[in-house]
Amino acid sequence: MTSATLTTPVTRPEPTGEPLLRVVDAVKHFHIGVGGWLKAVDGVNFEIMPGETLGLVGESGCGKSTLARLVTQLLPVTSGQVIFDGIDLTTLRGEKLRQQRKQLQMIFQDPYASLDPRMTIGDIIAEPLVNFGLLRGRHKDAKVQELLKVVGLNPYFNNRYPHEFSGGQRQRIGIARALALNPKLIVCDEPVSALDVSIQAQIINLLEDLQKEFNLTYLFIAHDLSVVRHISKRVMVMYLGKIVEVSPSEELYTSQEHPYTKALLSSIPVPDPRIESQRRLIELHGEIPSPMNPPSGCHFHTRCPIAQVPGICADEEPPLEEKAPGRFAACHFSEKVRTELTALPGGA
Amino acid sequence: MSRPILEVKNLSTSFFTDDGEVKAVRNVSFELFPGETLGIVGESGCGKSVTAMSILGLVQRPGKIVSGQIMFKDKDLTKVSAEELRQVRGRDIAMIFQDPLSSMNPVLRIGFQIDEAMKAHNKIQKDDIAPRGIELLKQVRVPDAERRIKDYPHQFSGGMRQRAMIAMGLSNRPEVLIADEPTTALDVTVQAQILELLRDLNQDMGMSIILITHNLGVVAGLCKRVVVMYAGEIVEEGPVEQIFENPQHPYTWSLLRSLPRVDSNRQERLRSIEGLPPDLIAPPPGCEFNPRCPFRIEKCFSEDPELEPIGNAQHVACWVTMTRAFAEMGAATITDTRPGAASGVRPPKDLLEVVADLRTLAEPEVLETLAQDPALLEKLSQEPAALERLNEDHPAVIEKVIENLSDD
Repeated sequence: MTSATLTTPVTRPEPTGEPLLRVVDAVKHFHIGVGGWLKAVDGVNFEIMPGETLGLVGESGCGKSTLARLVTQLLPVTSGQVIFDGIDLTTLRGEKLRQQRKQLQMIFQDPYASLDPRMTIGDIIAEPLVNFGLLRGRHKDAKVQELLKVVGLNPYFNNRYPHEFSGGQRQRIGIARALALNPKLIVCDEPVSALDVSIQAQIINLLEDLQKEFNLTYLFIAHDLSVVRHISKRVMVMYLGKIVEVSPSEELYTSQEHPYTKALLSSIPVPDPRIESQRRLIELHGEIPSPMNPPSGCHFHTRCPIAQVPGICADEEPPLEEKAPGRFAACHFSEKVRTELTALPGGA
Repeated sequence: MSRPILEVKNLSTSFFTDDGEVKAVRNVSFELFPGETLGIVGESGCGKSVTAMSILGLVQRPGKIVSGQIMFKDKDLTKVSAEELRQVRGRDIAMIFQDPLSSMNPVLRIGFQIDEAMKAHNKIQKDDIAPRGIELLKQVRVPDAERRIKDYPHQFSGGMRQRAMIAMGLSNRPEVLIADEPTTALDVTVQAQILELLRDLNQDMGMSIILITHNLGVVAGLCKRVVVMYAGEIVEEGPVEQIFENPQHPYTWSLLRSLPRVDSNRQERLRSIEGLPPDLIAPPPGCEFNPRCPFRIEKCFSEDPELEPIGNAQHVACWVTMTRAFAEMGAATITDTRPGAASGVRPPKDLLEVVADLRTLAEPEVLETLAQDPALLEKLSQEPAALERLNEDHPAVIEKVIENLSDD
């Protein structure tokens, strides 16, 4: 049995054409305590083309995991649309939504918490198949073994329990489970953050191989910009519930249109002492403000090194605009990002 | 060079668990010089934190320092009494931890906890304690220190808590600061701030710092010298520039190449390290890295290499070293990173490994293999443990073995 039986024959999609996923003005506000609203996701727009990997980065609390849960409809939106394969998921309820979810799977961060310790890994991987009543008996077992092989595990491990596996192996089990229903889109929420460096590379390579083999589309979420940039074609940077910059990942390191992206890049330590010794840190003062009470105007103005305060940055929220071909940023002073903030070393 | 302020000699620490002795740290030796920043890097379970805990005598049962010396100012910290060690801890050598929230008492004010550290040792004059607490918070750049010193830990953000913990560590003006993954729980922009702070402490106050981390980028930015650990042992040691530019141990080399770098060409496929770190209860014979090493030779399976100088202040524990791997095994162009891929050397298989291989096969294939190899069948019948393992997946094999026995 080959892996080709997992999906219909693969044809590379045209880069142009209809996006597989379109998120329009997605908003998610949580009601907290007495009269408080936490604006976790505050008006987000983006699209993903079939076969593409879109990266999403941001610091903790920026709303990236909430956004993942809106895309998979694990959380209902406060307002906005999530259009998957031409269908607005936010209008679906019950069984119709459940059927759509087959196409839309998720891989989670914590390989320990995301597998039921009392189920064998065979049952864990088969659970989606059982839920949708797709395969039974021998066919189901054969499919499970095939999935285990696809993710690089021994197919005869299906009777073992999660505690017998290491973190990296468990993440492979989670990936096998996500693949079980032949999804079109997989939302990867920090899939390698909990893993050791040498294991990270194994899982990243596996995800890349699977994408080629099954023509998968990924929304890849992580706080580690180097990982996101490696795996994605485009990178979206999120800050306090809003997208501040979208850029092709090739160009992201060499030029930035938003001061937050630039500061974020300057904060990442590079494993090269020569580059490190010349690194000029664009230090952001303080920490990410509370999403309960985000700053006025541009959310970033309280920490921005080039903000005009008082002035336009504190008063007016900048829209996400195309600043250069294929490059979007939400900043009033994108041109100043290029000229006034010192350049990163080593960028080629 | 001046005398080292801290010298760890042949340190071995083990944990005696129900499953056996976990040899977490084996024969580790290194020195820390005054004013130096030393990085200890490695993946989880490599023994880096246990090394730090051993220095301060914080290893708790079932863990125990099995052998070795920790020399601090002509005193062997493994020999001194608990009271003497308490005097050193926090006063001369301070430690900060990864998770500042669980390292603080949630029901005591930040200020109280900083002052407590000073009251425990008589290094700071009583009258100076309260003003020094505020001064310390200012020094670690906590804004509005006079007011925030009265806060409780939950009122501080993650980055602020780590600053407060560093303030606590600094309170008695220690000579050595051990930072165990101080930025792992923090966001990158906050991590950058904390690293900047540690750099200033080292440069302005001349404090010696041991930084324990899994992040090679952090080491590259802060440390002058680095110790690389794998499976409880030091595999390589030397000046940071040299180790990063010219790593000699295949593990260090592979680790550096497996990282996605924010400044690199993203098209290149990551060169992963195949396999998993070894079980520390029963580490493999020979070099611990041999099951994952693309450049292994026969000797690696039988003899454990010692940490040897290779000139230029660099030390490496490897029979091959990357110089030879480049010259003889084409390491520069290697794309296949599977164990033994570059050298072509396969390990001599022991029975358990043969069994592990057999377990991956389907039952008819296993039976066929056994039918063709009577010697293996004979060996299996003499090793109940191996047989039992095989039986987990292939119950039919047992019948075959019994059949074989009754034939004799």
